[in-house]
Amino acid sequence: MKNTFRGGVHPEGHKDLSRESRLRLFDPKGEMVFPLSMHIGKPAKPVVKKNDEVKVGQLLAEADGFISAPIHSSCSGKVKAIEKRRVLGGGMAECIVIDNDGLFTPFADYTQRADAAQLSNQDIIQRVKDAGVVGLGGAGFPTAVKLAPKDPDAIEYVIANGAECEPYLTCNDQLMRIHSNEIVEGMELVLRLFPNADGVICIEDNKPEAIEAMSRAASDKPRITVRTMVTKYPQGGERSLIQAVAGVDFPTSKLPANVGCVVQNVGTLYAIQKAVLYGEPLYSQCFTITGEAVAEPGNYMVRVGTSYAELLEAAGGVKEGLEIKKALSGGPMMGIAVTDLSIPIQKQNNGLTLLAEDPVEQAEAIMTSCLRCGRCTTVCPMGLTPQLMADAAIAGDFERYEKKLYGMDCIQCGSCSFACPAKRPLTPTFKQAKAEILERRKREGGAQK
Amino acid sequence: MNTTLNLSAAPHARDRWTTPFIMRMVTLSLLPATIVGILVYGWNAFGIVALAVASAVAAEWLFCKACKKPSTVWDGSAVVTGLLLALSLGPQTPLYIPVIGSVFAIVVCKGCFGGLGKNFINPALAARCFLLISFANAMAIKPVVDAVASATPVGAMKAGEAVDITKMFLGTADGVIGSSILALLVGGLLLWSLDIIHGQICFSVLIGFTLFLGLFGDKGFDPAYLLAHLCGGGVVMGAFFMATDYVTSPVSRLGQFIYGCLIGVLGGLFRLKGNTADSFSYAIIIGNVCTPLIDTYIVQKPFAYRKMIGKTRKTSKEPFRIPKPVIALTLIAAIAGVALSGVYSVTKDTIEEQKAFAQATAYREVCPEATSFAYSDKAQEILGDEGTDADGAHINACYVGKDDSGNTVGYALSVSSKGFGGNVTMALGLTTDGTIRKISFTELNETAGLGMRADEDDFKDQFTGKTGSVTYGEDGVEAMSGATVTSTAVKNCVNAGLNFYETVLKGGN
Repeated sequence: MKNTFRGGVHPEGHKDLSRESRLRLFDPKGEMVFPLSMHIGKPAKPVVKKNDEVKVGQLLAEADGFISAPIHSSCSGKVKAIEKRRVLGGGMAECIVIDNDGLFTPFADYTQRADAAQLSNQDIIQRVKDAGVVGLGGAGFPTAVKLAPKDPDAIEYVIANGAECEPYLTCNDQLMRIHSNEIVEGMELVLRLFPNADGVICIEDNKPEAIEAMSRAASDKPRITVRTMVTKYPQGGERSLIQAVAGVDFPTSKLPANVGCVVQNVGTLYAIQKAVLYGEPLYSQCFTITGEAVAEPGNYMVRVGTSYAELLEAAGGVKEGLEIKKALSGGPMMGIAVTDLSIPIQKQNNGLTLLAEDPVEQAEAIMTSCLRCGRCTTVCPMGLTPQLMADAAIAGDFERYEKKLYGMDCIQCGSCSFACPAKRPLTPTFKQAKAEILERRKREGGAQK
Repeated sequence: MNTTLNLSAAPHARDRWTTPFIMRMVTLSLLPATIVGILVYGWNAFGIVALAVASAVAAEWLFCKACKKPSTVWDGSAVVTGLLLALSLGPQTPLYIPVIGSVFAIVVCKGCFGGLGKNFINPALAARCFLLISFANAMAIKPVVDAVASATPVGAMKAGEAVDITKMFLGTADGVIGSSILALLVGGLLLWSLDIIHGQICFSVLIGFTLFLGLFGDKGFDPAYLLAHLCGGGVVMGAFFMATDYVTSPVSRLGQFIYGCLIGVLGGLFRLKGNTADSFSYAIIIGNVCTPLIDTYIVQKPFAYRKMIGKTRKTSKEPFRIPKPVIALTLIAAIAGVALSGVYSVTKDTIEEQKAFAQATAYREVCPEATSFAYSDKAQEILGDEGTDADGAHINACYVGKDDSGNTVGYALSVSSKGFGGNVTMALGLTTDGTIRKISFTELNETAGLGMRADEDDFKDQFTGKTGSVTYGEDGVEAMSGATVTSTAVKNCVNAGLNFYETVLKGGN
């Protein structure tokens, strides 16, 4: 029996493009750019100056406050500048720029394995924190914060997210096939923090090799099970996984920890294992470069700070005779459209998808009025009514949007926009409406003070 | 910066489903009913369908032109509107009616309210109601198939007459072009199995309607009665194609259920108490106008707010579901099976009763002195249930006619013989002394103008008063010229009856 959640959509997978490409380390040659904010929370504070010599794994910027994460160098070389650079999302942000010497000299010995039994729970959290591990599923929430909820005993499930429901992306598939033991070790370390929890590794049924590898690695671990999930988007969403594993629905005002769950991406678990057992900071992660317009789609371990353009070059560049219409950091469902490929890959990025045809452009050409067909309501994994929410948002009736329609509980998974036969841009409308409501709350809160 | 790259907000993928795809599927699902309608009702029906669709598309195009808006003809909604309207018109409707209707539907009901998705009532239905009110005579459904019956099945039902459910089910009874229930069901269940229409609407309409009629109709839950009502008056068409119109139905499941029940109950109420056979259209229109109200107040809560937060339910598994197409196909097969065989068994008793009634009438006619009929024990010994063969004829039954005081006043026999076009069956009345009182045919399928002349009084009356046996050319009994076989059959029947009297009945019981 496969687990799943209610609602959801079935976008075309396109995973065959890159799924058999073996994960390999990519060593860039060009300059490396490290944005100070690659996580949710306060940006890190630089601890290096211009012209400082740095090595692989060396601290570049330290965490500023509780919800923040340090940043480490992924190459060796000289600090060229600390300046504003264009980053993902189109804006300019403060970045540390390093002139890569191409030698990748390590800062410390990362092959020395620590004895896990000697480490206290506090040590584990501290090591994760020092290594700058953030959620690699896409959000980039500092992992150490997630590992230290108020009541660790109340956690019932530690869920490893290996669903990889995003179309095109296959790097987690590869990671699970190759590093299944490391991921299981990472899971064991996390489980030590939560004595009453079961470890559940969730993988969609379109990745049989990964399921097999992970099952084998977890076979002698009584607290860890591998569960097969139905291939359906957004199966890898935090809430979808919790729904499928624990059977709990909870509003966006609550955190997974409130319902006894901790969700970690398999990539994050891999990073936790390296950070805790080998003291190796997070400076690289698995990454898929794919799409119809890429000559040789493949999976790489990329170093943080590598530019998208350089990785594309390594993947053979743009396919002969094709032109890129759209470049996406991530996959097509949750990814961010990129217009400038010279920007750096950040910690929480896991893919670059280059499309020769733009489905959005095609959809806009055949957009009609809302038919009220209700497909958006059927597919919404949160059980919302996107069609009425869009009406309210467009009419500016934020009161109804928020109170009656629970519009703030939209997780912006994009299922409604995907399913809409009239091709209405529903998800962007909700994103705007939510921003507007938050803005109003802030203004009203300010007025009260 | 590479300016040739497109920028957009997530998601960057779209499903294959489009508005034209949905409209095409709805059109496709209406085609079986359209084809059956045209086959049954002929070219005029085809003309109505073609004109309605063409004028709907033309009206849409012209309206967009006139409003200086980009043409929306390609979305296919005008075709659906035109087709739905045509299917809800009678096959003999004058050809200007579908044109007026389509233009009204597209321009007034849809265009003037802002086009696709903005209309507050179903355009095709609104146009139909507009036509019903404005052109009552032209809209009256004239019989095509059954020239004798004066009304549509629903009209007949309202008048308390019996209707042929099988014909209504197949669409061969008189009615609107889209009146083949089987074809409509095939299309409707196709849409349902593709998740294009919401099951909670169509099924709650049908259930609401059936329950209401069962509870408040004068026949209770009599299957024949309920089936007849479900098969007539656009209930199936309304439930699957009109009430489920996206634009004019609520969004939430609960809202859809309420809306469906409302239409079903109103439809039932109008059917029982209203004075028109077209009441179902009005029920749906009332449902349509209630939709904004339902949508405002009945909004489904997100999953997270439906249960106690943090309370662990059973882990959700992918439930095993029978694929909808399988259910739909099974339903169609089952319904068709029930309709074609089961309906017969439901109505069989009625048919038998009617036969028996006709027989009894004939007995009373040929033996007018009798006020009641009884079995004759002696005759029954020989006849049993099957009857007996005699002299080229077959004696089916024999009754003894009695008057009020119980005296035997005559005999009534049912005798058959092979005629030219099948069995010739007659009721033969005999007096107590064995003379023929009268004959009357209960089964006569002979050639019109020849054998059928047997039913004329001139021929039948020749037998009155005869006794013993009858031969043509003697005692003033003449055969019908040109209908020897029928004449012989009649003679065989009469002689068999007379002989039966001589051998069995004579001498009292």
